[in-house]
Amino acid sequence: MKRSTDDRARLLRIISLCLSIEKKGGNPFEVEVKKALETLRRYLPRWKVLEDFALDAETLNQISSIVRLQGNWIKHRSSTLFVDPLLIELKVKMLEPEKLLTIFRRTWHPIIEMDRLSDKRVEEAVDYWNQLLSLEERMIKLPEPSGVLDLTSIEELIKSRIINEESFTGLLQKFWIELKEKAAGEGRIPYWSFIYAPSYEETVLRAYLTSFLITYGFATMEIEPMEEEAFLIPHMEPKENAFKEQMISVPISIDYELWKEMAEEKKFV
Amino acid sequence: MSEDTATYVRKVKRAAKILLYRRHRQPGVKGWELRRALGKDYVKIVDLLSQQLSSLGFRVSRVYEDAVDPKNPTTEQLDRARFYVTVKDPLTASDLVMSGWRVDDVAALVVTVSYIISKQGKALRTDVEQILREKFPKWRVERSLNRFIRQGYISESEDVLFLNWRARAEIDQKTLIKLVISGETSPTTDQDSDNP
Repeated sequence: MKRSTDDRARLLRIISLCLSIEKKGGNPFEVEVKKALETLRRYLPRWKVLEDFALDAETLNQISSIVRLQGNWIKHRSSTLFVDPLLIELKVKMLEPEKLLTIFRRTWHPIIEMDRLSDKRVEEAVDYWNQLLSLEERMIKLPEPSGVLDLTSIEELIKSRIINEESFTGLLQKFWIELKEKAAGEGRIPYWSFIYAPSYEETVLRAYLTSFLITYGFATMEIEPMEEEAFLIPHMEPKENAFKEQMISVPISIDYELWKEMAEEKKFV
Repeated sequence: MSEDTATYVRKVKRAAKILLYRRHRQPGVKGWELRRALGKDYVKIVDLLSQQLSSLGFRVSRVYEDAVDPKNPTTEQLDRARFYVTVKDPLTASDLVMSGWRVDDVAALVVTVSYIISKQGKALRTDVEQILREKFPKWRVERSLNRFIRQGYISESEDVLFLNWRARAEIDQKTLIKLVISGETSPTTDQDSDNP
């Protein structure tokens, strides 16, 4: 019993060493691959339960990653980019900031890009400004509630159609699957085509849910610069760093008139 | 002008608009986006645009997904690559002054990038901080590294720093390492002036 515990601990140590080298970029030749494989071969007949076989497989997987890293290590050392980190460390410590500036100037090729404002965007901005209430009007307080304040039950919220019987997360998941299915061919789908529904309320709800899909990293919005048409691109897996990344907001207004026009034209039906 | 030539001219103009106008938070355009807008011969169109821009001192650069640039890229590799318009020739001293970079920030970036390159594209943040702290105070080191992360020159994951898309698009890594090792910066003195 003790022996198998020791054996497992040994394999876990090998895995830990491999992971540490892979993560921190250390020298992969610090892992004695041959010895590790011999250990695996020696231990294999002793394993009896599934967990031990899984541990054996995981160790083998990590060792194979180290072999891959060793290959990359040799490739890098033989490339023109290889230089001893210690040498770089010594050199940069010796160089004055002014000299480093000259080096940077000779190696830096900055990206060129331009911001632009299209006629359509200016038109939208003017519309937005005209429709926007003055700050004073927007700051008017809502009247005090006349009835007795009480907590609203879930049933009442469902009855008032404020929330659905399904959980919001569940709803979002379903919506994400729908987006993936609809965008399956081209990998993306026009925004308006996706959010359009036979009723105005449903269209607004779909736009609302879409905004969450994008914010939570389930999808990305892409705007064609020439046509200024928005597209939705679903991610196969939710993007983990969606909140960490710097985000931008894209305001899209949906009013009843616009929806009516879409419905009349049956452009997206 | 033949019909073919007219089509190419139109496509080159369109490519210039797509590549120069900011469209995403991150600059540059993916190969597949260019293919969709310009057709399957988009690489040829982009090369033509690059030739046109060359006379103005710009070029179209490609950054492949893999750290090492393929010699003969496949269609898939080109589709996944990101295309940028960058300055072609090394900047003059006055260009750099106009860019708004402080000398200490530039020094910190050169040290950071060259050290990460020497460590095969990833290095512990603590190691980079240790080198920078030889010459800069702690608060400045922290601020500089965080700024480089924000600007896309480096990225950080679990205390490990990596070269990010901007360093790969804008910095000539081979020349950087060569110059840091040799410490040789004099051959460009004749380029330091804006005057021919």
